Amino acid sequence: MEENELVQRSIQGDEQAFGVLVKKYKTKVFNLAFGLTRDREIADDLAQEVFIKVYYALEKFKFKSAFGTWLYRIAVNHVRDHLRKIKKVRYISFDDIHKESRLSEEESNRRESSREKEHRIQLLHQALQTLPKKHQLILTLRDIQGHSYEEIASILRLSPGTVDSRLHRARKMLREKIAPFLSQGGGTHEM
Amino acid sequence: MKCKRAETFISRALDSLLSVEEEEALRIHLKDCNACQKRKKEYSVMIDTLRDQDFPEVKPYFWERLQSRLKEQRKYDVWSLWKRWSLRAVPLSIVAVVILALGLLLFLPQPTHELSQTEALLLRDSLPYPESLTFLEEEGAENKSMQIIFTAMEEKQDTRRYFP
Repeated sequence: MEENELVQRSIQGDEQAFGVLVKKYKTKVFNLAFGLTRDREIADDLAQEVFIKVYYALEKFKFKSAFGTWLYRIAVNHVRDHLRKIKKVRYISFDDIHKESRLSEEESNRRESSREKEHRIQLLHQALQTLPKKHQLILTLRDIQGHSYEEIASILRLSPGTVDSRLHRARKMLREKIAPFLSQGGGTHEM
Repeated sequence: MKCKRAETFISRALDSLLSVEEEEALRIHLKDCNACQKRKKEYSVMIDTLRDQDFPEVKPYFWERLQSRLKEQRKYDVWSLWKRWSLRAVPLSIVAVVILALGLLLFLPQPTHELSQTEALLLRDSLPYPESLTFLEEEGAENKSMQIIFTAMEEKQDTRRYFP
């Protein structure tokens, strides 16, 4: 059955059709929430709330964009609202990250490479959480979730040019935060 | 090419967005710039780490749990709908009572008003003084008194009171 037909049936009250849509998108919505909250319980709860919102907003879906994009827009807004509400931004100072890095160096000699990778991911996410929300979001959508520029532009209602510049800015900010732990050295060319 | 521009190109190259000319320009720059080579490596590690990470599994029975939440939500919706309407019913009832009261005041038949003597006479277009005038026209105080006494004794007495 085509997705639009499933949506149409869901609008008419067919819960099973809605169930098919939920099963199709639950992982993506959960991963988005997890990518921004780093908490499985909260991500699960947020994903459920997103689908409840979607269920009640189905009648407003005008089939102008893909259902997935529309759903993702709702998910992004919901997770963003949640983060705004709980003010879950963890302001991590440069020293904190550096301390983590030193630990990483010490431990990396003793631990397996998988543990190192895990630690690097953790470090990266801690640095990610220090970025402004809009930059966290665009990095999550592009580099964690793997959405295309067009999809991101549609989800965030931005022009592709803005997506491009904001993504570049976000990557640059993140790189600058984690650079001391990834490599040493300075530039020779004028910036 | 300056490093700032090269960094933008490195970021775009991660998404394969560079044209052939841009790729070539970046390659030439990287050949001579150690700092940008390091930056490129940092970007690669960073993006690879972000892209390769494992996500935890979605918790089991996601749909079943969602179904039960939707069911609860519907119950709550019925209750909230009732609450919303019942709250709206209070001002609506007040408005209805006011309208009813105004209607009653405007359209109920007025109670019959008993006319005073003067009002009755005015409505009849009759003068209350013709008999009094005859007394006043009478010459002499004695005649006047006699006239009043006789008039009072007559049957006409009642009609002088001008009951409506």
